[in-house]
Amino acid sequence: MSLSFILFFGFIAVLLFGLGWALWMPRLRSELRRDPRSLEESSRRHVAYLPQIRQALSEVDHVFLSKKTSREVQLRFRKERRRVVLAYLSALRGDFQSLLRMARLIALLSPEVAAVHEYERLRLTAKFFWRYQMIRWKLLAGLAPVPQLDGLSDLVSSLSVRMEAAIKELGERAAIAAELASSLNRRGLDSI
Amino acid sequence: MPSTFGLSGGRIGTIGWQLRVCYDAPVIEEFQQVLWALNTVTGTLLLVLLVVRKNYRAYSAFTFYIFFNLLLGIFVFVIYRLRGGASMAYWRFAWGMQAVAVGARAVAVAEVCRHFLSRFPGIWALAKRLLLVCVGLVLAYSGLAARHSWNLAVSGADRALELSIAAVIVVLFLFTRYYDIPLESTDQSVAVGFFLYSCFYALDNTLLERYLNSFAALCSALGMLAFFASLSLWSWALRKSRVPISSEEVLLPMGVYQTLTPQINLRLHSLNDQLCKILKPEVPRL
Repeated sequence: MSLSFILFFGFIAVLLFGLGWALWMPRLRSELRRDPRSLEESSRRHVAYLPQIRQALSEVDHVFLSKKTSREVQLRFRKERRRVVLAYLSALRGDFQSLLRMARLIALLSPEVAAVHEYERLRLTAKFFWRYQMIRWKLLAGLAPVPQLDGLSDLVSSLSVRMEAAIKELGERAAIAAELASSLNRRGLDSI
Repeated sequence: MPSTFGLSGGRIGTIGWQLRVCYDAPVIEEFQQVLWALNTVTGTLLLVLLVVRKNYRAYSAFTFYIFFNLLLGIFVFVIYRLRGGASMAYWRFAWGMQAVAVGARAVAVAEVCRHFLSRFPGIWALAKRLLLVCVGLVLAYSGLAARHSWNLAVSGADRALELSIAAVIVVLFLFTRYYDIPLESTDQSVAVGFFLYSCFYALDNTLLERYLNSFAALCSALGMLAFFASLSLWSWALRKSRVPISSEEVLLPMGVYQTLTPQINLRLHSLNDQLCKILKPEVPRL
């Protein structure tokens, strides 16, 4: 069997896999699609718990416990802490996804889109999810540092806030533009 | 009668090729005859459904493709009866019609692509460019990977076209998944039918090219079976009138995309940079 023959079957296999993946739709995905409110709500939900998560990740607690409690309690504390961080990481991923959904929706409903921006977002998304999985595996294996996750949550929350502000600003601009257009139309009608 | 005779989505080209390379074509089996009849009946039924349910309006290219296939079956049958399966006239006709059949299929696939995405002009313009690039790449790949022999040039080109049709459909589905575009079920089934047939045809053609003597009859029978599967899927999907999701979406003003998208991408970029920093352990481990 020649290499080109194997490559050909490999290509067919990739196509079949691609089609299967594209047609496969998890329940959660379809539920999110059906509920337009999820776009607005989910992006704020987890960021709201940021102070509590920061408290849970505080190194002071860890130092205090290492002095006052037994090894068993410390182990339990670490285990619980890891569980919380994993849950938070997963929630951040949800936040990230909802922001992405918003970006895709904007692209979808735009009369013109730039291939460069779309490609850039696709590339960044792939990178983010790859890194997210790396951190998750490291956390599960007990190798990842916890406190630096704060930076990640800050970024997500700031992105969310900026987008909301930008959308508000655009809404105002659109209203002004509409007003201008209608006044111009009126002028046009008057001159006739 | 040649082994692959009949309504099978333009498979007739393979017949001509077979007859050229291997004049002692295998005697047709009963199974293939049954499949031929089955494909003709299902094709006619599909055409009737397209007309009765008035789906020919939305799927004009697809209707032409099905109609052309039916007509092709009849012509081939007549020519075969008059001139015989090994004649040059038959061979030329077979390949000529094959080119038209693949062309008609490509136009029908383009029609499905339009149904999928034309409601969103920005994305549709982007998808068109992407799909054309995809077709070019697959054709180039097929050209490079094919055996460079004049005897196999036509079948190689035919296979490349089928592969590119299959690739276009996959990219189209990936595109709709990425942008969360709601799909009309009929369009989805028509596209899957095209994919299954094109994919199977390319596989079949490759096997025929490699192992002609041992697998010719089996391959042609399987090819006809694949086309029957596609016809059944299309008939099932088109048993009702197509209800379009909505003719046009309410679009955002031009400036929204231009203002927000670079900002989002910038933030995503910084987020990725932060993730890079997280990967570097600097503090006590869990």
